[in-house]
Amino acid sequence: MLTLLDQLDKGTLWRSPGGIHPPEVKFLSNTTPISQLPLAREYLVPVPQVGENCTLTVKVGDKVLKGTPLTQGTSIWHLPVHAPTSGTVVAIEPRASNHASALPVNTCVIAADDEDRWCKLTPGSLELSNQEMIAKIHRAGIAGMGGAAFPSHIKLNPVSEIELVIINGVECEPYISADDRLMREYSQEILAGISIIHRLLAPKRIVIAIEDNKPEAIKAMQQAVSQSVLPTGSVRVTVIPTKYPSGGEKQLIQIITGREVPSGAIPAKLGIVVHNVGTAFAIHQAVTQGKPLIERVVTVTGQNVGKPGNYWLPIGTPVEHVLKHTEFHAEADQKVIIGGPMMGHALPTIQVPILKGTNCILVPSSQEIGTTPEEKACIRCGECANACPALLLPQQLFWHAKAEEYDKAASYNLKDCIECGCCSYVCPSDIPLVEYYRIAKSALKQAADEKHQAERAKLRFEARIQRLEEEKLAREAKAKEAATRRQATMTATDKDAVAQAMARIAAKKAAAAETTADKATVEVVDADASNNTEAPKGKAAVAAAIARAKAKKAAAAAQGADDAESSQQVVSSLQTASSDQSEPTEHAESLSQKDKVAAAIARAKAKKAALKADSDANGDTEATVSANQPVTESAISTDTDDKKAKVAAAVARAKAKKAAAQQAESTDVAEVQPKHEADAKPESTNESDDGAGNQSSSDAEPSAPLSPEDEKKAKIATAVARAKAKKAAAQQAESTDVAEVQPKLEADAKPESTNESDDRAGNQSSLDAEPNAPLSPEDEKKAKVAAAVARAKAKKLAREAGASSDANE
Amino acid sequence: MAFKIASSPHVTRNLQTSTVMQRVILCLLPGLVVQCAFFGWGTLIQVLLAIIVALSCEAAVMKLRKRSIKASLSDNSAMLTAILIGVAIPPLAPWWMIVMGTAFAIVIVKHLYGGLGHNLFNPAMAAYVLLLVSFPLQMTTWIAPSTVALNTPSIIDSLQLIFNVGAHAGMEQFRLGIDGISMATPLDTLKTDLSLGLTTTEIMTKTIFDGSTGVGWFWVNLAYLAGGLVLLKLKAIRWHISTGVLAGLFVASNVGFLLSPDTHASPLFHLFSGATMLAAFFIATDPVTAATSPRGRIIFGALIGVLVYIIRTQGGYPDAFAFAVLLANLCAPFIDYYVRPRTYGHSAG
Amino acid sequence: MSTMLIAVILLTLLALFFGVLLGFAALKFKVEGNPIVDELEAILPQTQCGQCGYPGCRPYAEAIANGDKVNKCPPGGTATMEKLASLMGVEPEPLNAEAQSQVKKVAYIREDECIGCTKCIQACPVDAIIGAGKLMHTVLTADCTGCDLCVEPCPVDCIDMVPVTPNLKNWNWRLNAIPVTLIQEIPHEEKRG
Repeated sequence: MLTLLDQLDKGTLWRSPGGIHPPEVKFLSNTTPISQLPLAREYLVPVPQVGENCTLTVKVGDKVLKGTPLTQGTSIWHLPVHAPTSGTVVAIEPRASNHASALPVNTCVIAADDEDRWCKLTPGSLELSNQEMIAKIHRAGIAGMGGAAFPSHIKLNPVSEIELVIINGVECEPYISADDRLMREYSQEILAGISIIHRLLAPKRIVIAIEDNKPEAIKAMQQAVSQSVLPTGSVRVTVIPTKYPSGGEKQLIQIITGREVPSGAIPAKLGIVVHNVGTAFAIHQAVTQGKPLIERVVTVTGQNVGKPGNYWLPIGTPVEHVLKHTEFHAEADQKVIIGGPMMGHALPTIQVPILKGTNCILVPSSQEIGTTPEEKACIRCGECANACPALLLPQQLFWHAKAEEYDKAASYNLKDCIECGCCSYVCPSDIPLVEYYRIAKSALKQAADEKHQAERAKLRFEARIQRLEEEKLAREAKAKEAATRRQATMTATDKDAVAQAMARIAAKKAAAAETTADKATVEVVDADASNNTEAPKGKAAVAAAIARAKAKKAAAAAQGADDAESSQQVVSSLQTASSDQSEPTEHAESLSQKDKVAAAIARAKAKKAALKADSDANGDTEATVSANQPVTESAISTDTDDKKAKVAAAVARAKAKKAAAQQAESTDVAEVQPKHEADAKPESTNESDDGAGNQSSSDAEPSAPLSPEDEKKAKIATAVARAKAKKAAAQQAESTDVAEVQPKLEADAKPESTNESDDRAGNQSSLDAEPNAPLSPEDEKKAKVAAAVARAKAKKLAREAGASSDANE
Repeated sequence: MAFKIASSPHVTRNLQTSTVMQRVILCLLPGLVVQCAFFGWGTLIQVLLAIIVALSCEAAVMKLRKRSIKASLSDNSAMLTAILIGVAIPPLAPWWMIVMGTAFAIVIVKHLYGGLGHNLFNPAMAAYVLLLVSFPLQMTTWIAPSTVALNTPSIIDSLQLIFNVGAHAGMEQFRLGIDGISMATPLDTLKTDLSLGLTTTEIMTKTIFDGSTGVGWFWVNLAYLAGGLVLLKLKAIRWHISTGVLAGLFVASNVGFLLSPDTHASPLFHLFSGATMLAAFFIATDPVTAATSPRGRIIFGALIGVLVYIIRTQGGYPDAFAFAVLLANLCAPFIDYYVRPRTYGHSAG
Repeated sequence: MSTMLIAVILLTLLALFFGVLLGFAALKFKVEGNPIVDELEAILPQTQCGQCGYPGCRPYAEAIANGDKVNKCPPGGTATMEKLASLMGVEPEPLNAEAQSQVKKVAYIREDECIGCTKCIQACPVDAIIGAGKLMHTVLTADCTGCDLCVEPCPVDCIDMVPVTPNLKNWNWRLNAIPVTLIQEIPHEEKRG
């Protein structure tokens, strides 16, 4: 029994199943040496090219030199990209990607300055430590050059021990000859790269695998191996028979070692690593000269190219530029294929860049590859199964993929399909099998993603429920603790006082209970308002935003109005509103930001109120008028720049609106209307009437500064009164006999609110109070809270009104 | 001018379904010629009749299904089915039988199941079984091979007999062999004589046999074998099914022959009698109704071979390929389910 | 007579044998019944959006198990409804709400308009919005289920539901959907010298 190493040394080859022998057309491009093309005007460098995300190190307008890194990343999977030439970054924007979908990706556009100046390179030597070397390779942005563009530094730093390194010079795709030419012309450099790989991985053997259709390359590599400094016997060139897809990583491993890479695993699990010859070359460039990966050999071939051959192309060169300089002539239904004819993707547009994994641009004529014949019925001939290198049953996969039974397709190991295209190639019915598999694979992936996300969502949802529960329990526990502590510290002497206090609290609570539903909102608005105090500018923006939102909602409501008449009215009232607006805007320049905010809010409200009023069949303009009123008022008050006044105005407005809303609700508007008027008025008076230093009249005198405590009390009173008014209004709307109920409510509301606010001094809820003494920030905050609350309520009422009027209709 | 977008691969081998079918048809020709040489013009007339019926049925169905008639006719599959039915049924069977059989094959067996690639059963064999079950007498009465027959029907005779015009008694005349008995196929004769208690050696001395196999049938089978080998060479079919069939039949008949040579015909007789080679290379290899994996196909073929032997020796019908193929067709999905190749990177089992 | 007896005995024995066999199989290969609610819940999309009228997907799964209709899950679309119907063995019914377009959406907060009110955070059933009072909020798009629940509470209407755009990783390979680009003939480079 020979060991694997003996077998390797003997050059034993194993058979890989399946495979095909497509016609070789490498002669088109492999006869001329690798040459250069003139610089392009613009280079398109996708950022990031490899890896999930990155940080840009340049911005638009920056000058870059050739080789300057454009991105930085923290993840090990990230590979930096470098400027392919010197020039200016003219744009960083989404551009079409070099991908079958051509979906736009973020691309750094560099305008070349035609100087092609290198940035400072730091040539290294072989004295570097392994880690330094790997870091250098990482910084050079080297990715697998065979097409998959897997970050090379990861493959050079494996967790497990590597026994065998295979250098892949197979290049089994017909047409492509980039590696062939590279091996012929740069065999020494490739071998230098291989010795670096040898140092980093310390494998027992390195096998350079080349297909037997590249005799010159084989000779060149054999010569380089014989001259190399590596220990004899550790590196050998193995010639393998030409068959597609021998160059596939898994297939190559099978041919060289007879072992199969387990499904879903990487070759490193078998102690094997495969690197492309191009990668070995790039590693050499990076380590010894410090050159980042900014150019690569690309085969430009096909019968529709005037100058087929291999070219050194900077990464980021637009395909269009390449085609232009290789005398491309297009025909009808031209295909431009990136990669070989078997696995390459056809480009939807040629304004896409060359990437690190782009090894070929193929522009075939239609005689060359034939037209795509129509798909016919599968006759289950099994040719595809014979050709499949992964030993799948392509016809079964196709059957299920076509029927969109993706789970069944998955049970036939769809994920092990390497998309080599052998099955489609041999299919006598011209079925694009690989396309079906790709669609099925992406659908399976999407389903898996969705499932994963659903699971996550469920976990998060459950975690949230638990958190809320815990928070609730914690709150309760805290409250209990506080209560017990209070009880413990309580002395007999102040028991009475406490009792009294408790009674007061209870009374207050009872009053407040009605508004509990609103509390949460109020609190949040509170936060909102207090935010304003801290940042006056932000506050203005906030108010403006809210006003906007409201205006939007109002507009939506207006659209909802179904009868033509009312919509007409809406128009007219909108006109009214806008004419109202003109007034404040006149003042706008001289006004402070806050004034503007207030004005905006008022405007929005006026609009809304107007709309509400219009939905009323009666068409009573009263609401509009009452809505107009505050606008005017606020406009006037802005002159004086008094916040309090605005607060008051807001409250009044809210009420006016409320009244308007109620109007809309009621079926018998004519009757109710006056009452509402009456209702609203006394209420607002209620709140402010009894206070000392009363500003409720339109020509009130400036009041003396109030103590914060008083103010607070006053506001509480206001809130309670409002709550009651609201309740009354709601009841009103409900009751069929409005006239009767009204007075009673009136009576109810009055005494109570009076009680509450009786002895409170300092009530500021007047309509257009005169300048007050400057308020402390705290006061301001409170005032805003009040305003916010009023707004919130108005909003709510408006919604209710809307709903009920709908119902009435 | 627009860029054409298509999924890879961008090249395909230039081998179409129609070409494959065409090759199969061409490889059938030697067998057909030999069959005509031994059994007269009847077979050729049946084949032509079947082709006409098959193509018109196919066209009609495609029109009803609103598909491209041209595409369907040009894939040659209907023609292949027709030829197979034509060579399978007795050369002088009345015209309505082949018409009925072919129409049944195309319309019901093929298109009612979804057309080419979707049919569960081999259309030619299903049609054959339909006719065999419905009209056993006509289906088991072959004319005597020309080398031993008293009269060989001319082309005019054949036409008259098939289209049922002119002398009705004519059929009797052509069915008569030299010893004046009604001429059944060698397999039929063997079966009847074995049941009469004769030994195989005795039976083989009859004129219809030339010592070990049936007169003419040996050459017919040889011609089909040759055609089949060409098919293999052309890679229009793979070796698995044919080998399976022949091996299955050979092994089974060998077992019987070794156990009791007197009551069982030799493996050679079985291999070169009836429709053995035709079925092994042209009928059982129909990929649509066979198993798909290579291993599955060997099993599928062997199943047919063994079934043929069992039905030939134990069943009520002298030849059994139609039944064996249909039964194996039934098993194909089952075989496919259990015989899956081990995918790369997956451990066996 | 004896033949009949034999037949009867034989059949009885056979019946007994198969009865025992079946009984054994029932015990031996007993399938631990996966509670139907779990299965139903696995089908539901877990957006926790509440559009079914239940506070989350699990409660709706329980409701279906108790006989509620299967057509109340707009985010799942018709496909989910059909799966639910087949699992419950009922006839599929059209969705009761306007089925959402199959395009997956996620919430997006226009951050310069956000006032930091935390209302959306409270509304989000999967805690996919982060932010604190008075500070800007943002959506964790990876965790957003697109349930729409945060849109309504926003006082400044700064939350949009934006469809998830396909990227190179989740593109579905529908080549036919790629718009055809018309190209200009590339002018040939004049031969120099």
